Formats: sequence, C-alpha cells, structure tokens
Amino acid sequence: MADAVRTHGLFKRYGPQVAVAGVDLVVPAGSFAGLVGPNGAGKTTTLSMITGLLRPDGGSAEVDGFHVWRDPVQVKARIGVLPEGLRLFERLSGRELLLYNGRLRGLPKADVERRAGELLAVMDLADAADKLVVDYSTGMRKKIGLAAALLHNPSVLFLDEPFEGVDPVSANTLTDVLRRFTSSGSTVIFSSHVMDLVERLCDWVSVMSAGHIVAQGPLADVRGGRSLNQAFLDLVGGPRGQGQAGLDWLGARTGAHPGEHPGARTGAQPGEQPGARPGGQP
Amino acid sequence: MSTVALFAQLKLRLLAGNLRGDVQRTIGFVFSLIAAIGVAGIGFLLMSLLRLAPDDIASSLVIVAFTFFLIGWMIVPLLAFGLDDTLDPAKLWLLPLPTGRLAVGLFTASVTGVWPVAILIVTFGALAGLASGVGGFLLGVPAVLLQFALCIVTSRLITTALSGVLRSRRGRDVLALSVLFVVVLAQLPNLLMNQGFSDPGTMLRQMAAVLRWTPPGMAAHAIADGGLVGLAELVFVALLVVVLAWLWVKALGRALVTPDASTQAASVRRESGLVDRVLPDGPLAAVVTKELKYYRREPRFRVGWFSAVFVTAMLAFSLTRNGPGGEGLPVVLTAFGALMIALQSGNAFGIDGRSLWMNAVAFGSERDLATDLAGRHLANAVVAVPLIAVLAVLGGLFTGHPAMIVPAALSGWGALGLGLGVGSVTSVVVPYTVPERMNAFSGAAPGQGGLAFVSSIGTMLGIALLSLPFVLPVVFGWVWVCVAAPFYGLLAEALGRRLAARIGYARLPDLLAAVSKAS
Repeated sequence: MADAVRTHGLFKRYGPQVAVAGVDLVVPAGSFAGLVGPNGAGKTTTLSMITGLLRPDGGSAEVDGFHVWRDPVQVKARIGVLPEGLRLFERLSGRELLLYNGRLRGLPKADVERRAGELLAVMDLADAADKLVVDYSTGMRKKIGLAAALLHNPSVLFLDEPFEGVDPVSANTLTDVLRRFTSSGSTVIFSSHVMDLVERLCDWVSVMSAGHIVAQGPLADVRGGRSLNQAFLDLVGGPRGQGQAGLDWLGARTGAHPGEHPGARTGAQPGEQPGARPGGQP
Repeated sequence: MSTVALFAQLKLRLLAGNLRGDVQRTIGFVFSLIAAIGVAGIGFLLMSLLRLAPDDIASSLVIVAFTFFLIGWMIVPLLAFGLDDTLDPAKLWLLPLPTGRLAVGLFTASVTGVWPVAILIVTFGALAGLASGVGGFLLGVPAVLLQFALCIVTSRLITTALSGVLRSRRGRDVLALSVLFVVVLAQLPNLLMNQGFSDPGTMLRQMAAVLRWTPPGMAAHAIADGGLVGLAELVFVALLVVVLAWLWVKALGRALVTPDASTQAASVRRESGLVDRVLPDGPLAAVVTKELKYYRREPRFRVGWFSAVFVTAMLAFSLTRNGPGGEGLPVVLTAFGALMIALQSGNAFGIDGRSLWMNAVAFGSERDLATDLAGRHLANAVVAVPLIAVLAVLGGLFTGHPAMIVPAALSGWGALGLGLGVGSVTSVVVPYTVPERMNAFSGAAPGQGGLAFVSSIGTMLGIALLSLPFVLPVVFGWVWVCVAAPFYGLLAEALGRRLAARIGYARLPDLLAAVSKAS
C-alpha cells in the first residue's frame, strides 16, 4: 500500500538557526507511527509544515499522494490535526467547538451534532460539554482537541505531543480511541518524548535529532533488540558516562552547608532548610 | 538588608533579561526611560515653581497632586501590568522566606524601576515648592518619603489582595473590562470643561478643602505647615503606612495558600439556533454563530464595542454643546460611529489569535476564507446595523434635525460596509496579535505596536477616503446622494472581501504566524 506521508528534503530555518535540515519522513498507510526526538529536534516544525500550517523553505511533502502546498483541498480534507500548545477557540464550550469545527468543513449540522455527541461521550467529556474550553484542564483540552481532529473522519491524523500533561485516565481514553482509529486502516502520526508509550503503541518509529531523521522504520528494526529508550539514547547521542562530576554536594547530609549559593540562606526557618527530608509529614 | 539587595538585583536582572536580544523592546525601553526622565525633570520643575504661586493655591495644588499620585498608584499597575514576575507572590512562595522578609523584598522590587524613581523625584519637587522655614524642610523630607511609601504599600496591598482574582479567568475578564474605565476617565477633563466652571481657582479650593483630610492631603499639608499640626499629621500618615503594611503582609500570607478555583465554572446555555433558522446550514452559519458568541463572551470584543459607542457619544457631546450644529451633523456623527464600529474589523483575525490554525487546516481554497470573512461581516452587521440606526435617531433628535435621521442611517450603513471591506483587506495585509490580557495602554503584542498603528491608520484613512463620495455631498446639502450609500457600502464590502480572500489565502501561514505571537 502507498505511503500515508512522504516528505523530500523538507527544510526550514528561523534566522540563522536551521530548525529542520532536509527531512525525508516516510510513514506507511495504516500505521501507528511515533515521531520521537529530543527537545528542539524539529518535530513540531516538521509536523506544522506537513499539515500546511507553516510554509517550508525547501523540499516537499505529500499526504496520501497529494502535494500539501499544490493540492491543499485534497490534503486538508484528509488530515486531522492536534497542534502543540492546546490552542483552541477558548470562548466556545466543548460542544460548540466541535459543532463549529465540523460545520466549517461543510458537514451538515445534524451529522455534526450526532458525531459530536458520540465523541464527547467516548472522551468522557459529556459532563463538561457545555463548559467553556477556557476553563478546561490540560487533559480535557487534549481530548476535545482530538475529538475536533477526528470529527471529519480524516485518513491521517497528526498529533503533536498528545500525551503531554495528560493524566493516566485521560491518556488511556486517548490511546483507546487512537487504537480503534488505526485498526480501521487509518494512519496516526504523533510526536512524543515518552519512549515507553511509543514502544507500547507504535508499529513504526521515526527518530529525529537536530533537524534530521536519524532512523526510521518498523519498531522492531529501529529498536534492534534493545529497549527503545536505549536505542534512542544511542541514536541521538545522550550522555554515556556518569555525568555527575561537580555534584558532590547533592545528597550530602553532613550538617554544614557546603558552598555559598544564593538559594541557601542561613538563618531561614529550620523547617525549610534545604536539608529537610522530603516526605517528612507533620 | 541582604533581602533588599537581592530583590533589587532580581528586578534589575528581570528588566535586563526582558530586553536582551529584542531590538523593538529595547527601543521601547529607551523611549520609556526618556519619558520617565522627562516626567521627573518637568514634574520636579513644575512642583518647585509653585514657590512663585500664592501660598494657598500652591498648597491646594500639592494636596490635589498627592491625592492623584496615590490614586494613580492604586489603578495603573492593575491596568497596565496585571501581575509581573516580581510582583506575583505565587512565583516566590517556594523560596524559604518568612512573610515579613518577602514583604520587604516585594517592596524593594516595586520601588526598583524607572517610573517609581521618577515619581519619587516629582514628589520631592513638592518639598522645593512648598516647604518654608526649617520646620517645613525637617517635616518635608519624611512627609515626601511617607507619601511615597503610602503609594507603594497601598498599590502592593491592592495587587496582592486581588492576586487570587487576577490569576483566575473570571477575574482577568473583569479586569479587561476595567480598560473601559480608563477610556471613560480619559474623557473626564473634557466633561468637566464642558460643565463650564467659571473659576478654576474656586474649584481647586473646593477640591483641596476636602482632599486635605485624606492621607496624601495630610502629607502635603504637613510640608506647607511645618509646625506641630504638620507633625501630628505625619505621625498619623506613618501609622497608616504601618497598618497598611501589616495588612499587606497578612494578605500576602493568605494569597500564598489560597488555591485558584477558576476552573469550577458554570456551564453555558445551549444555543437557541436562531441563526440556523435564517441562514442555510453550512460554514457561513457556523462562523456567524461563533462570532456572535464571541461578541458576548470575549472581553476584548465587549471592550471594542463599548468603546466605539462611547467615543461616538463623546464626539456628539462635544460637537453639540455649543448649540445645535448644521444639518450635516447627524450624518457625520453616524458615519463616524459606523467608522468606529468598523475599525474593530481592521484586524479581524487578531482576537482568534493562536486558535486560528483550526480555520487554517480546514480552509482548502480562497472561497473558504471568503466565506469566513462573510460570516464575520454578517455577525458584525447583525449588531451594527440596528446600533447605527439608533445612533442616527439619537443624532437627529439631539441636533434638532429629525429630517436627517434617514439620510444619517443610510450613510452610516454605507460607511459600515466600506469599513468592513477595507478592514478585511487590512486584516490580511497587516495582521497582528491582540494580547490575551488587555492592557489599557497597548492593543498589540510586544513588538507589534507599529503594525497595530499602521493597521488602524490604514483602515481609518481607507474608510475616510472611500466615504467622501457620499458624506461630502450630504454635508453640502445634496441629501438624496445617501440613498446610494448602502449599495456603495455593500459593493465595497464584496470587493474588499474578495480581494482579502485572494491575498489572505496566499499568505495563510504568515497570517497565522502574525496573529499567534506570544503576548
């Protein structure tokens, strides 16, 4: 089957800094794909360019074989997006947000209402459906954002850090919905730092570092017998040694305060000394 | 003492860090610095020149000035800054500081800055202008310092007491509306002048006679008095400062442990579907529904609409107070009101801001953007068309030209159409971010003030030029011309919308970036 997403030499710079330096991302249709990389690797920039929210300085991107910047009508009808940063229409209620989003895409109101009701129920948002989004918690925002992205039944779903700041219960709801979505042959691409989660959910992994794809393929190939976390650290070159030189004072409990750093002030209340044990319940 | 030094350093570091690597902010800071030096110099000079005025006038003026300083310190920090990093106790509560020291630190942080120093210098001007004899100077120095301390402590007490409210969403909404208060306040001198006080001296004496018994009035009086009465007054002010400081420390202690309960908000009503009964199902109806909700729920919209009506009312008031104006006046007034309303559409996507991506990922063609603009215009017209009719009726009645009501309404509607057309073009050519937290002194995100200025001037000039063809003839007596005004406006709106859709769709990512600046 064809690839759901394919980019060629995607490139973006902000002033002197190159954020994305020629990315060739490939995601086969029907896969649950994870885009992993350290902070600043260019994950968000890459996803923004593929979804048409950011104009690339070079290269091209295709979704389901349609060119993102030459054939936007076809591409935009096929993708659902949950960008980073929870940016939603804050002064609408959750239900109104879904209605607006669906009708903006030309779906009939009756259909949108039915779909919105089902999505709200599945996302466990039925109680909060008529509260303003501005008053939602992080987990609720991610869920309503995902509901909005799913509303028009896209074939490819782009999620930027969908599990960041989400409690385990909401995260479980999100993964259930996403699993159901991919099992029907649709594609999910999400970025994350949480390797365990990627390992558990994904069958396809792309690893980004410093604006490049450094590894990409089925999970088992990228992992190569290690845990994904170890494979990731090996790939992006994390600290290998015991990076603890110069932290001798950390954990020292000899009574005297070693060193003079501005945070530690002698004479503060005893209960708030840096040496106080965490978990010392009153 | 180390606390004082530490917090002074913290504030200076924050000031410096804010400027690093940002040319526009640096320029802004330099201008602010120049302005503060100017205010300090001129203020000190003016205050010291009071020495040349008769004694009672001088002391009355200082009493009034000191009172206004205090009121300024109470209001301006709330409106201008909300909370900044050094002033928000929640940012500091993890530091192992007893509340008393935290209070000393926050006090230091709030006097460290360009403007507090400038105000202190101006306050010292009163000493140069008012004090007489050794007693006056001996009492004057503590009086000035006490007045300054009173301003700071009161201002801190208010922000701290309200900090819980200011962090909650509803509190910030209310605060945003208080921008209106400044708009009204700015017109106060104008209104007072219109009342026609025959003798400013009498008014000053009357005000001073009352304000003299307020704490800042006492401080000012003590400088002029320089005797035992002055001493007693200073003791009272000092006690008051201590009490306020104690209250502040208490409020601080409480603010640190009070949680934010803003997410337990009430539900909103389900929509009545009125729009859907009139419009065919589709994106247009969706946009109109959303925009009308935003007019109701978004404080920035409420401020915009209220200001438009208020500014028009003020203009009407000042133009008509010297007796009824010419026949063209209702037309000019209504057209002006329409212009003020339409100016809000000069940056149509600004308030959507960071959420505009939701539209951007749905819009696959120019047509979609044009529909979005049409929906916004329609929602605007739903409110503006009746409002303009009311303006026209009131304008016609108050100026004594009821015959001009219909022409005025027609011209107003025409001007509105023009404004929406021009506004949709400026919305896509010079888009800028409207900050979430409204600030009475700037309508754009940091660094975009210039863009906001260009946008509103552009919209205003565009509307003014394009409306001349029907406003001028009406003013000169060819009233029948205005029959064509609504059609002219409608044409301008349609053309402007199509042009804006063409330009805007081509630069949708840039548009998105421009309205999504951090604010």
